[in-house]
Parts: sequence; C-alpha cells; structure tokens
Amino acid sequence: MNDGIKIVPFEDGLTIKIFGELDSYHVLGYKEKICFEMRRYQPTRLLWDLKKVTLFDSAGIGLILGRYNEIRKVNGICGFLPLTAYTRKIVNLTGLSSIMSEYKSISEFKKEGKVTL
Amino acid sequence: MNEMELRFKANLVNESLARNAIISFVACLNPTLEQISELKTIISEAVSNAIIHGYKLNPERDVIIKASIEKETLTLMIIDYGVGIDDVERARKPSFTTRPDLERAGMGLSIIDSLSDEFDIKSVVGMGTKLFIKKSLSTTKSEIYGNC
Repeated sequence: MNDGIKIVPFEDGLTIKIFGELDSYHVLGYKEKICFEMRRYQPTRLLWDLKKVTLFDSAGIGLILGRYNEIRKVNGICGFLPLTAYTRKIVNLTGLSSIMSEYKSISEFKKEGKVTL
Repeated sequence: MNEMELRFKANLVNESLARNAIISFVACLNPTLEQISELKTIISEAVSNAIIHGYKLNPERDVIIKASIEKETLTLMIIDYGVGIDDVERARKPSFTTRPDLERAGMGLSIIDSLSDEFDIKSVVGMGTKLFIKKSLSTTKSEIYGNC
C-alpha cells in the first residue's frame, strides 16, 4: 500500500486521513503538511481517520498528541473515526483514548464535537 | 533454531527495512495479522530508539539487529553503540522523553514492554544500548478462525 496523507476541511474542522505507515520517518513530512493546513484553515476540530494505517508507533502518537495540544489551546476537540483492532490497541495502551473519543462517522463527530467559541 | 543478523545505517528511512526483514524472517511461523502488526510496532520503536536517542540522528552510525527463532518464539536484540541511557528505569516510564523537541511521546519503551512477552534493557552511558525482546508467535486455531 502507498503511504500518504489526505487532509479535507469541513466547516470549522479538518479530517486527516493517513494511509500506510505512520512511523518516525513519515511523521516528519506529515507534521509539516498538517501544520500548513491548520495555519490555513485555523480549525477548532480535528478528526483522525487511521483505518488504512498499517504501522502505528509512538511517533504517530506524538504527532496526534502535538496537534491535540494545539487544538486544546482554542478550546477545540479531536477525535478518531472508527479504529481497527490494532490501532485501537496502541491508542488504549498509550492513554490517548482517555482524551480523544472514537466516532462512528464524520457527521457524529460534527454533532458531538460542536465547539462554541 | 534459526538465526539472522542485520546491520544498517542509523537513518530513519531504514526503519521499514528492519521491519520488513524481521517480518520475512518470521513468515515461516505463519503469524497472525495482529502479531505481525504488533511485531512491526515493536521493531519500529526499538530501531527509532537507537537512531533518535542512541545516535542522535547521526546517519554515519550502525544499528544492528540479531534475531533468532526457537520453536515458536522470536528473540530480538537491537544494538546501538551510542550515548547509552543513564537511568534505565526512568526511561521505561511512560511519557519520559529526551527529545520533546521532536514531539516524541516518550512511550516507545513502554509500548515495547506491553506488546512483547519479555523485555530487558542493558545500557552503559557512552557505550551504547542493547534491547532484548522475546515474542511468542504461536497461534491457536481459535485465533486464526476467531473472526470467521
């Protein structure tokens, strides 16, 4: 599978879809792309789609946690689209599940994750 | 028993080389997809620990992986001759990182600990670090057909 990232804006948020391996090597480029789009759209909500991730480690956790910290500064929220058993295991192991929830769909996240500034 | 050894430069691009080599090495055991994913994460954490923390991203240095299979258990030794770890117990604690500038989550060693069956660290400051990891790749029929 080709590695890659797709970032799609919606209302006041961004959906970040990752394909393939999310390791230290790929995270460097992905962080740059995500930060560029965050500066451009200034979102208050981030929704991660990791369904197509085949390798997930602490570098990926660091990437997600870093963006979570930025979104929290504007009282925003972050979430996940349905995780696979593998990615859910890493998310649970690292405690990320205690600060970010899983949503069935983008529309559920939009409804649940409505931010009032 | 079967054994292999892999030596490569401390460049992050080589993380996938290390993962793929070990996954090919254990293919004869017919691991489940879940075991493969977990093993890839373990290798990724161990190798990035050597490259980022041991060698401070110096691509001139070498990372060595020694692997062996006995019955259905994989034993891995990931070796670097970098800076070493001065307090191994502190390094094993979740959220401890020496590289917050790189947004390291500081969870690499605790992830290895959770996903492996045995995990040990030998390190000498200024000499380097060896990570010892054991992971059983045995499968039962219920694991293989569990989702059918």
